[in-house]
Amino acid sequence: MDTPLGQLTLVAVGYAGLVTVVALVLTLLRRPRPAWLDQGVWILELLMAVRVVAGVGSMLNGQRPEAMSSHVGYLAAAVAVLPIAMQSVADDRGPWSNGVIAVAALAVAVVGVRLQLTWGTGA
Amino acid sequence: MPRTGPHRVLLALYALFVLAAGARSGVQLATEAGRAPVAYALSAVAALTYAAGWVAIRRASAGRTGFASVMLWVELGGVLVVGTLSLVEPDWFPDASVWSAYGVGYGFVPAALPVAGLLWLRRQRAVPVPTAASGS
Repeated sequence: MDTPLGQLTLVAVGYAGLVTVVALVLTLLRRPRPAWLDQGVWILELLMAVRVVAGVGSMLNGQRPEAMSSHVGYLAAAVAVLPIAMQSVADDRGPWSNGVIAVAALAVAVVGVRLQLTWGTGA
Repeated sequence: MPRTGPHRVLLALYALFVLAAGARSGVQLATEAGRAPVAYALSAVAALTYAAGWVAIRRASAGRTGFASVMLWVELGGVLVVGTLSLVEPDWFPDASVWSAYGVGYGFVPAALPVAGLLWLRRQRAVPVPTAASGS
């Protein structure tokens, strides 16, 4: 976690955790999905996209993750999960759509941790 | 399918586990199938079960609960049987499957998911589903 890539991952995972908690609270309070939660999700997507681009850049510079195939899979999942989740609730601003966001943001947090683990030491 | 409701969260979780279990078993079977064939094959079975579960929840949310009432029990049975086998016959599982130790590697969500689905299904059966004829 000492490298810039590791620190970027840490920020993204922390922010994903925050989005998860907020979305979960909104679900439990049965609140309709506010527009600012959507904005928060897209900021998270931007963070993950930056993390993925940085990771791909590191690989193009000759660094290799310890578990290559799994790592590439996690890179793809890191940027794919949130847009798919947002699309699935595009016609639904009800309270349960917050739950879908919570699931997706939690998945992104886990993917971020797995990205770090599959990269190996020195990430 | 009704636009909103708890089934949306269930569908998201099932889709996520189709992806997680499918990708996991796909990579493991393609790169190191000989290491833990039983575990990796069971992960593939789990992925197929989650795909069927997704379809079942979707159908049940539209009022057709028959498939879900079978599929969710099959899924729960799979988690319990594989979870128990992984504990009593650890030699069969040199590497973990998705359902090993009742899904401990996934925060026990694999064990909680069919239970949540069955609870939702019970409520779903009690609530009359609006039809096109009723103007929904």
